[in-house]
Amino acid sequence: MREHIKESLSSFFIITALINIAMFVLGTIYRPEQRFGYEVFIYPPLNAALSCIPHLVMFSKKELTIKQVIIRKTIQLVLIIAIMLAFIMGDSGFDAKVAAGISVSVVIIFIAVHIIQWYLDLRTAEKMTEDLKTYLAKSETSV
Amino acid sequence: MEIKIRKIGSDEQEYIEIGCHKTDERINEIVRFLRSRQGTVDGTKEDIQYQIPLTDIFYIESVDDRTFIYLEKDCYESRRRLCEFEGILSSRSFVRISKSVIVDLMKVVAIRPALNGRFLCRLTNGEEVMISRKYVPDFKEKLKG
Repeated sequence: MREHIKESLSSFFIITALINIAMFVLGTIYRPEQRFGYEVFIYPPLNAALSCIPHLVMFSKKELTIKQVIIRKTIQLVLIIAIMLAFIMGDSGFDAKVAAGISVSVVIIFIAVHIIQWYLDLRTAEKMTEDLKTYLAKSETSV
Repeated sequence: MEIKIRKIGSDEQEYIEIGCHKTDERINEIVRFLRSRQGTVDGTKEDIQYQIPLTDIFYIESVDDRTFIYLEKDCYESRRRLCEFEGILSSRSFVRISKSVIVDLMKVVAIRPALNGRFLCRLTNGEEVMISRKYVPDFKEKLKG
């Protein structure tokens, strides 16, 4: 459970940062004249928090197989899209073009989050491999 | 072959050093014997019981309440439970990496990331075993000695 919470928190901060970037890029392209108040600062963390809720589908007391992880990740992505569509379009009504834009943004951010997390894991693995070499060298001299 | 025994101080670590022209079968046999003196565990294969030197073990896995000891190419079954092995081997180079696996760090070549915050250990025989997220801190701690 502790690892699950840590991973959710890590996802939350990465998603918040990526939503900020997405808002900047999409806003600059499509509505450069748009001006906002301070309330706009709450949307990235709020959206990130909502996006973290479907992360619960990844929780399991048993070790998941690669196949189970892929299936659950797919369910997680679908749930995030559904939540984001409901949250953003709940008041204004359904618009296919806007829905497609939101879905594509969510997919891009979802993939980016996983690439960043994989990169962080890669760095951890490299560090562990270095520590392993040191451990083996120490053990070789003491056997 | 000349055999020399030199007494050393109690503050020094005991060691055996072999001086040889080349590492042949004769030397390997001596090394195997010495390693077997460093500890063995019981394992059965096709109803025959064997003494397995700890240094030959790559990893130990528990599957459906049965415990298997994996060597470079062979696999033996043990009556002991995984937690018993964990207790016996924790002072050596073995570490628990998941609910069902204990691995010998001396047989690990490299570590790479896997999906969902887990890692894979590549062993010297080419096999790979998974480190669960929960056991990553213990694994790191063991590496630091």
